Amino acid sequence: MCVFVLIASLSTQPLLQKVLRKLAFSPQTFEDLGVEKEVAVRRRLAKEFNKRREDFDDLRSYNDYLEEVEDIAFNLINNIDVQETETRIATYKAANAALTALNLQREEAYALALKEQEEFERKEREARAAQLAQEQQLEREEKEREQREIIDKLETSQKDARAVVAKSRANAAKRLATVSGAGKPQGLAAMGFGFGADYAKLLKSRTTSKKGSNFVPDEPHVPFNDDWYSYDDLYVFKEGYDDVVSEAVRKDREGIMRAGGYMVHEAWQRALVSAVAGLDLMPLEGLDDVNGTTPGNLDSNGDTIMATV
Amino acid sequence: MDAVERENADRQKRWAKEQKVGEGTYAVVYRGREFATGRKCAIKKIKVGQFKDGLDMSAIREVKYLRELKHQNVIELLDVFSSKTNLNLVLEFLDSDLEMIIKDRSLVFLPADIKSWMAMTFRGLEFCHRNFVLHRDLKPNNLLIASNGDLKIADFGLARDFADPGFKMTCQVITRWYRPPELLFGCRYYSSAVDIWSVGCIFAELMLRTPYLAGESDMDQLKTIFRALGTPTEQDWPALSHAYFFAMPHPTHPSKLPKIAKEPSSRTAEEVDGNVDLASTGPGVKAKSRLKRKLTSPNESESKARSIARKLDFTKQATSP
Repeated sequence: MCVFVLIASLSTQPLLQKVLRKLAFSPQTFEDLGVEKEVAVRRRLAKEFNKRREDFDDLRSYNDYLEEVEDIAFNLINNIDVQETETRIATYKAANAALTALNLQREEAYALALKEQEEFERKEREARAAQLAQEQQLEREEKEREQREIIDKLETSQKDARAVVAKSRANAAKRLATVSGAGKPQGLAAMGFGFGADYAKLLKSRTTSKKGSNFVPDEPHVPFNDDWYSYDDLYVFKEGYDDVVSEAVRKDREGIMRAGGYMVHEAWQRALVSAVAGLDLMPLEGLDDVNGTTPGNLDSNGDTIMATV
Repeated sequence: MDAVERENADRQKRWAKEQKVGEGTYAVVYRGREFATGRKCAIKKIKVGQFKDGLDMSAIREVKYLRELKHQNVIELLDVFSSKTNLNLVLEFLDSDLEMIIKDRSLVFLPADIKSWMAMTFRGLEFCHRNFVLHRDLKPNNLLIASNGDLKIADFGLARDFADPGFKMTCQVITRWYRPPELLFGCRYYSSAVDIWSVGCIFAELMLRTPYLAGESDMDQLKTIFRALGTPTEQDWPALSHAYFFAMPHPTHPSKLPKIAKEPSSRTAEEVDGNVDLASTGPGVKAKSRLKRKLTSPNESESKARSIARKLDFTKQATSP
């Protein structure tokens, strides 16, 4: 508000040769007002005096032109012969209007070209980044797929787990070689996924241990290593029995037994084994030992032998 | 003092409690020693009194079945005695369990290690099933490893004998990740096949070094199983829709089981030599005959695997359990 008042009052003052306009006011950029003024003057002059080296026949005349421009600038900045300088500018302006306009166009074109180039470079950078990200994503997916494949194979195939892992590792190495050429040896180590790496180590340790002196040849596998009598010479197990108790279970109208996998023949087998298991024990055997029971009378398991058989 | 009390006092005097090694919901476990021989043992003190009906069910189950089962691959119950109002179970002391070994990334498993552990698990389990006992809580945590490499099945707190025809069993057994789909579907009549499923999961875990089927809830467990192995159809699993909790999770997945698993009758000992078919045991496959074939299939040297198992450093774990 006060600025408007100031302008209104000042513009009526006869002291000022220059007309003040609100539009011409600008925020101060430099602390030194002299610098501020110089920048303003040079900005104005640059619009008019925009001739280039190409516009002159020789260097001398170009230097003369530059000196003249500097002269005008100096005069305007330091308020020397302002009136005269302004007329110089006006005559120059009139004489070189065509060339000035042409140069202005040229400059604009140049600026535009610069801008376009910048834009192009930025786009290229973005594209490169996107491509890289995509490649990484692909690689990640590939790796994940591979791992899944190994797990699937381990689940379903009948092959040896080591063979499966080794095979897929070989595939992975081949793929890596085609993707990134030969200059990426650390990629393999980075790919050492989960138990794959462990297995590699394991295979190595196996081969070394085989060469070593402490190699033990395989023994035949013994499925059962306890002393077990199954009583199966004492009974013959039949396919089915006329069993009243389990009749409902066998018919299983609602299917609830079948759903849970209950097996009637397990119950029959149990009944049979229980029936025959004690047949070879003589009744009343061993009673004599028990008659004199003392705290020290223990069997091999440390149980006190009670007066029952 | 009557004869029973005197007997109990004699028993108690044979064992020395040394150091507390762990505490569960219903028991405190101490490391102990037999006075006479210096043999290490674990003493499980059952907390009595916080249960209205007297002893906890699992303590009763544990005593009931471990008193009967004596096998190289089943933990041995050395003694039982009471002190004041507590019941004490004296068990074999074992240094480590499979869970600790699986989690210890510094240990590399050889195929022979895994085969040996699986063979020992199956021997112990076959012994239980041979004596008509279902374990119903098989998981790596319950497979203990002795310092000489022996594997022993422990924790019979959920065990029971085979049900008579027509008698219901609970389906809320077996730790979720190792629970077979028939239990998740709420079947109350099941067989020894439930334990085999758990062993299959343990086998896969030994190979992968991470739980194979890790579901977050019971329903998620079913989804996880079907995602890995395929959703069973009415043909694969007749009468499934009659299961108590039957609700088929979506989306369904095509079966990923090898074709051979669907026709159990055509399987032969040679075919089961491979590693993986064990993990793909579907319900309805006769568990017992499957187990026998498994045990008769050729295996790598066990003594070699044992020697590796012995190399595991148990001294560290024994001092700071």
